[in-house]
Amino acid sequence: MRFNEKELVFLSRQPPERAAELGMRGPKKGDVVKRRVVKLIVNFLFYFRTDEDEPIGALLLEQCRVEREDDQVFSIVFLDEAERKYLFECDSQEQCVEWIDAIVKASYEFMRKNLIYYRTEIHRLTGTDPLEQYGISDETRFQVFLVLQSASIHHCHLLCFL
Amino acid sequence: MKLNERSVAHYATCNSPPDKTGFLFKKGERNTAYHRRWFILKGNMLFYFEERESREPIGVIVLEGCTVELCESESEEFAFAVKFDCAKAKVYKMAAENQAAMESWVKALSRASFDYMRLVVKELERQLEEVQEEARSSQAKSKPKKHQLQPQGAASFQPATISLQNATITGPLQEGVSSRENGVSWSKPLSVPNGVSDTQEDCSERGDGVRPPPVPPRRKTNGGSLESPVSPGTGCFSKLHD
Repeated sequence: MRFNEKELVFLSRQPPERAAELGMRGPKKGDVVKRRVVKLIVNFLFYFRTDEDEPIGALLLEQCRVEREDDQVFSIVFLDEAERKYLFECDSQEQCVEWIDAIVKASYEFMRKNLIYYRTEIHRLTGTDPLEQYGISDETRFQVFLVLQSASIHHCHLLCFL
Repeated sequence: MKLNERSVAHYATCNSPPDKTGFLFKKGERNTAYHRRWFILKGNMLFYFEERESREPIGVIVLEGCTVELCESESEEFAFAVKFDCAKAKVYKMAAENQAAMESWVKALSRASFDYMRLVVKELERQLEEVQEEARSSQAKSKPKKHQLQPQGAASFQPATISLQNATITGPLQEGVSSRENGVSWSKPLSVPNGVSDTQEDCSERGDGVRPPPVPPRRKTNGGSLESPVSPGTGCFSKLHD
């Protein structure tokens, strides 16, 4: 599958949300832990050799699950191939917890759910759709039905935004 | 550079609904003729397939830090281009089948970035806090009148009675959100009217939208301004939609 690699590399140079040197182990059998500089930028996790400026690789953080494996270790697993785990070894429990938190919040879909929540709440409290004033209330990406599959809010009330 | 391509491709076709789909003509990267492709926009990823029924995308364009412009084309009407700011960046030329489709795609693509979504979320988060603050203070002032800002009918509202009147959210929009660069942490208690607590959720996918969600990650920018280095010009939310 083709992708705009140059632009992704350029993205990897932007100020990261979070960056650290961690131990990283790939998902293949026989992969060993290697020290990598790991950078979280938008919904990508870039990883670099410790002395290099260009990333070796990137992980798109959508449709994935992040789990605590150990005191200082977390894993990322992609839902389409759940047996393959990327492992990350941190230097402390605190760092581990912070990384897990950051990665969970780094997905576009997670942000979308936040947005729906805020939009719905503001509407409920004020009677006004907060996106109206910006002329973006009809944008598909802000529509409530996109999270009906996972939200446990009363679904019928949210359909008013359609 | 490696990419988790299989999982990225899976994101394209998995059950989460796409933001936009449709046929577009795409100018080839080697063969410069325009080819009709099926496009799926999801989040900040624009996937393209050979056919609508194809199971795997031919490619994906990561839409971070790009601008979308209308462009002149000798062979195609309704042409537009996705351009990136980096050196030797590719220009992706596409053409729609009619004016309306072109405008719709240009709009959707120019708002597809993670940065943009993050700005909107922050803005709404700020507004919600304002509204909740107002609700708290008006409750404190006038005890007998309960829940002034809450609509009739408890926790539910009927679609038919939704009226989109002028917002009761008062006060001018703050310029960007730079005043909150060091601001809100979700550990402070927010009295959400529906009685939900804001305890931090710890880990993995979450579907319940009932709790107030934690603050999305903030990118550290130079000088604490909101001007994103990747998407210039998106600093001030209120100006974004002018």
